[in-house]
Amino acid sequence: MNEIISIVIAAILSWFNFVLIDTWMGLPEKPGVKGADVIGRSVLKRGGDLAGGFFQGNIVCSPDASAGTLLASAACYTIGTPEGGLIAAILVYFGNRLCADPGYAGTTGALTITGIIFAASFIGIGPAYFVVGMVLAIVTIQGINHPLASKLIGKIAEKMGRHTELT
Amino acid sequence: MIIHANVLFTISSYALAVASAVIVGLVLRLPILPERPIRHSWTISIIFPTSVLALGFTAIVFKLGYEGLLVAAVVGVTTAIFAKYLLERILPKPQTEES
Repeated sequence: MNEIISIVIAAILSWFNFVLIDTWMGLPEKPGVKGADVIGRSVLKRGGDLAGGFFQGNIVCSPDASAGTLLASAACYTIGTPEGGLIAAILVYFGNRLCADPGYAGTTGALTITGIIFAASFIGIGPAYFVVGMVLAIVTIQGINHPLASKLIGKIAEKMGRHTELT
Repeated sequence: MIIHANVLFTISSYALAVASAVIVGLVLRLPILPERPIRHSWTISIIFPTSVLALGFTAIVFKLGYEGLLVAAVVGVTTAIFAKYLLERILPKPQTEES
């Protein structure tokens, strides 16, 4: 039972970590590459939100805060906290540059989740829970219902002043 | 909460790596921050990515077994030189925006 509660808490923390950082860094504003544009417009066609679609497309096409969160969790589990998170941050940065992305979202996501994992470890929630939690968090955005998730992301983007101006 | 001496030593090492990267970055005339809006900027600056790279490279070197303040300082200096002269060549900014 404690394990399930730990996974749920880790999933919620991971969800807020990557959604807020990715939105703040402007993923819903515009597609970074052509693939993200195609995904965003496909989501729009299926009744979703264009900004949310760009967000979903961008996190598929380059390692943003979602990948940073997952990689840092896995690296903290295998290498240790905080060294794993710091190493994950530079790996994500190099990955970003290879994917035509300046790298702010992924790197920031990796560093913030490292701090969160460090803090959560004091209440017994270790990096392993964050690996599972992040997988569950990303499923809610990419794996259940794209149009519905994109509408939620669109609303968050609007509140944070990051909604797309493209049509 | 008890903080062990080796934890303080490790934290000092990381701080020294970042400090040496910042100082060498200033000497090499890297900008302190990218131009605004920062989230769309490709400019290599002292705060990002040089400081982050210094932390990551220091973590790698420490995990390989080479620890100490001198090692941290050397990694910081090397990172600043890498960021100034090599990073843009190895991982260049894309020539054109695709969309």
